[in-house]
Amino acid sequence: MTTPRPPLHGRKLGDRRVVVNRPHSDFFRYAGPGTMVAKAAASAPTTAVGRRVARVRAFVFGKPLTSAAEIGERLSKKLALPIFSSDAISSSAYATDEILRVLILAGIAWLTWSIWVAAAIALMLTIVALSYRQVCHGYPSGGGAYVVARENLGPNFGLIAAAALMVDYVMTVAVSSAAALANLSAYFEVIKPYSVELGAVIIILVTAANLRGVRESGNIFAIPTYMFVGMALLVIGMGTANVLTGHAHMVEPSKFAEKAGTEAFTIFLLLKAFAGGSVALTGVEAIANGVPAFKPPEAKNAANTLIIMALLLGVIFVGLTFVGMNYGVRAETSAGQPVLAQIGSAVFGPGILFALLQVSAALILFLACNTSFNAFPRLAAILAKDDSMPRQFAFRGDRLAFSWGIVVLAAAAIGMLWAFNASVDALIPLYSVGVFICFTLSQAGMVIHWRHERSAGWAWRSVLNGFGALLTGVVFLVVAYEKFFNGAWMVLIFIPALIGMMMFIRHQYAASSRALQMRPGTAIPQPHRHNRVVIPISGVNRAVVQALNVARSITTDIRAVYVSDDPATSTEVREHWVQSVPDVPLVVVESPYRALIAPLVAYLDVLDRSWPADQEKPITFVLIPEYVARSWWERMLYNQAAKQLRATLLGRPHTVVINVPYRRDETHVTAAAEEKHPDGTLVPGENGVATDRSSADRPSTSGRR
Amino acid sequence: MPEAIPPVFRRAVIALSGGAVDETVVRLALEFGRASRAELIAIHVVELNWTQPLDADVAERSEEAQRVLDAAEGVAEAMHGKLEAVLVQARDVGAAIVDEAAARDADLLILGLPYRTRFGGDFAIGRAVPYALKNAPCAVWVVREPMGEEPQ
Repeated sequence: MTTPRPPLHGRKLGDRRVVVNRPHSDFFRYAGPGTMVAKAAASAPTTAVGRRVARVRAFVFGKPLTSAAEIGERLSKKLALPIFSSDAISSSAYATDEILRVLILAGIAWLTWSIWVAAAIALMLTIVALSYRQVCHGYPSGGGAYVVARENLGPNFGLIAAAALMVDYVMTVAVSSAAALANLSAYFEVIKPYSVELGAVIIILVTAANLRGVRESGNIFAIPTYMFVGMALLVIGMGTANVLTGHAHMVEPSKFAEKAGTEAFTIFLLLKAFAGGSVALTGVEAIANGVPAFKPPEAKNAANTLIIMALLLGVIFVGLTFVGMNYGVRAETSAGQPVLAQIGSAVFGPGILFALLQVSAALILFLACNTSFNAFPRLAAILAKDDSMPRQFAFRGDRLAFSWGIVVLAAAAIGMLWAFNASVDALIPLYSVGVFICFTLSQAGMVIHWRHERSAGWAWRSVLNGFGALLTGVVFLVVAYEKFFNGAWMVLIFIPALIGMMMFIRHQYAASSRALQMRPGTAIPQPHRHNRVVIPISGVNRAVVQALNVARSITTDIRAVYVSDDPATSTEVREHWVQSVPDVPLVVVESPYRALIAPLVAYLDVLDRSWPADQEKPITFVLIPEYVARSWWERMLYNQAAKQLRATLLGRPHTVVINVPYRRDETHVTAAAEEKHPDGTLVPGENGVATDRSSADRPSTSGRR
Repeated sequence: MPEAIPPVFRRAVIALSGGAVDETVVRLALEFGRASRAELIAIHVVELNWTQPLDADVAERSEEAQRVLDAAEGVAEAMHGKLEAVLVQARDVGAAIVDEAAARDADLLILGLPYRTRFGGDFAIGRAVPYALKNAPCAVWVVREPMGEEPQ
C-alpha cells in the first residue's frame, strides 16, 4: 500500500474496514486489463506559466475535447451544407460575370449565348457532382480526388490530385479574403493601404474559429451562407416572374460596362467563356474530401448534402444567368458593379432587399475560405496517414480539429496575400487551375473504378465519368492556356514542387520504417555487448555523485572525465576525486586551446579506437550531470555546455546519452548534506547520495561551462 | 394513478459489486440525485478472509477492484455528474457498506443485486443485501437486475 491507513471501526464490535488508496485515480482510469485511459488532469500543465497559457487557450479556442466527443462534433446535413458549400455556392456570385466578360468580345448580340454556356456548365456540374456522389459512397474515409486517383490510377497520380487541390485551397483563402477586402475598400477607401495586414487579420480570425472545432465554426458560418442562398433564390424567383409576365426592364449599361468587341464568335471564344464560367465548380469536391466529418451514416449524408449543394449551385448560377440575360445585364470592370448587384438593383430596386442581397454576397465571398479550412486539413491528414505529409498533420488538436493543417493553410494564404500585395487581379489567375486537374483525375479514376468493379450500371457510369473527365480536362487546358502568362505558370510550378516534397517525405518515412522494422516472431535475445560509462564532470559535487550512483547501476566500467583549461584547477579536482571516489578512475584532459566539448568527443573516439577490433563495439553511456533550474531565468544560467554536448553526441554510433538531473530541493540530498564527515570526504547519504565539503554548494557540473 | 415524485436525498452511498447492474445503479443515483444536487459516494468492498491482515496490499494493486470504481466514475463523467469513489477492504461486505454509509451520514444506501439462483432454482439474495436492509440506519434501495433468459 502506498500509505497505510488505520482501520476504521464499524458500528458493531469487531467490524473493521480499511479505506484503500487509489493513487492512479486523479490521472487515469482503468479501461481493461493492463489498459489505462488518461484523464484531463494527466494532460494538464503543471507549471504556473503552463496553466496560464492553458487558460488563455481555453478562452480563445475552447476547452479541450476528448476523442470520445468526436462523434458529437460530427456535422448534420444542415450544418455541413454551409461549411462545405460556401466556396462552391459563393462562386455563383461571380461566375456569370466571367461568361459575359468573354462573350462581349464578340459583340452584344452574342450575350444571349450566356444561358447556353451556363447550361453546359450546369451539365458539367451534374456530371462532376454525380461522380463525387459515387466517390462519397466508394471512399467513405474521405480524401476525394486524391484517394480515387491513388487507388485507381496509382500513387503518383494521387499526389498530383492532392497537390493541385492543396494549391487551390490556399488560393481560395487568399482570393476570398482579398476579394472581401476589395469590396470593403470600395466603401472605406482608408483601409486600402492596409489590405495585407487586414487580410491577415481576417485569415487569423477564421483560423481561430476553425481551431475551436468544426461544429462550432459551422455554427458561426452557417447563417451567412443560408442568408445568401435565400436572397439569391428570391432575386431569381422575382426576376423570373417579371420575365415571364413581361415586367422585366432592360438595364442601362453604366460607364463601367465592358465595351463590346469585334472578335469573331468562334468555338474558341465559346470554350473560353465556358472555361471562365467553370469557376462555378470550384469547391464542389470539398464534401468528398470530408466524408468522415458527417454524422452516421457518413457516406449517405455526405452524398445527399453534395446533391443539395449541386442543386442549389446549379439553380442559382443558371437562374442568375437567365435573369441577367433577360434584363440585359453586362459585365462591368472592377470599378463597376458585379452582375449580381445589377440584377439585385433591377429586380428589387433600392431598398432593404437589395442591401440584404449585397451584404449576404459580401459575407459569403468572405466565408468561401472556410470551406478550404475544412477541406485542406482533412486532405493533409489523409496524406499524413499515407506518409506523404509530416505525421503531425494527422494529429487532432484540443478541439478535435486538425490544427496543423489549419495553421499551415493560414500561414500559406497569408504568405500569398503578402507576396501579391492582396491584389485580387494578381491572385485570380492562380485560382481554379488546380481544381480542374483534380476533377479530371477523379473522373478518370472513377472510369477505372467502374471497369474493375463491374457493378450494376457500370457501363453507363464509366461513360458518364469518361465524358466528365474529357470535359474537365479540356477546361483545365483552356484555363491553363488562358491564364498561363497572367500567373497560372506559378501554379504549374507549385504543384510539381509540392509533389516532389511529398515524394521526398514518403521516401524518408519508408527508409526509417525499413530501418526500424522487425521481423514478426523474432525472439529478442538478452543484450550481450559490453557497457561502459563516461561521466563528464566539472568538479566533485552532488550532481556528479547523483550521476555516479546511476552509473553504478549500469556497469562497473565507469570513468569520469574532467576537461580543463587550467592545470591548477585540475590538480585540485583530482585530489578531491581520489579522496572522495577512489574506486572510479578520473581522466583529466588538459585543453590548452580552451575547448571543452571537442576534447571530450575526441576522448570518446580514442576509447573506441582502443577497443579490440575483433570484438563487438561496446555501448558507451555518457551520463551528463545536470542541475535542474527552478525558474526560466535560472535555465539560462546553467547547463549550456550540457546542451551542447548532448547535441554533439546525438547521432554518435554506439553511444547513449543520459541526462542525470539533480534537483536542489530533493529531500534526500538535503539529508545527505547533513552527513558530512569531519575530514571532508564524501559519505553516502540517504539513497546513496553523497556530498563533499568543498563543492557541495556549487550548482552544477556543466553549469560552470 | 398518483404522480410519481422522485425521492429527495442529499447524500447517497452506492455499493458496487463489479457486476452488470452497477451501471444501472449509478445512472439511477445520478438521475435521482441531480434535482437535489446530492453528494454521491460509490463504494466497492474487497472482502479479505482471516488468513490475511486487514491492511494487506490487495485491493490497491488489484486492477479489477480499481476498475469497478473507475467504470462508475466514467458513467458519472459521461452524465456530467460527480461521484466520489471509495475502495475498502473488510472482512464482511455488508458490514463495511453499512458502516461507510453510517460514517458518512448518508440518507440513502443503494445496492445493486444481480439475479442469481442457487442450485435447484431458488433465488439467491446473498448476504450483503439482507444485512444492509436489516442494519442500515438510512433508507435502502435495492436494484435487482432483470432476469436473464430461461435456460433451454
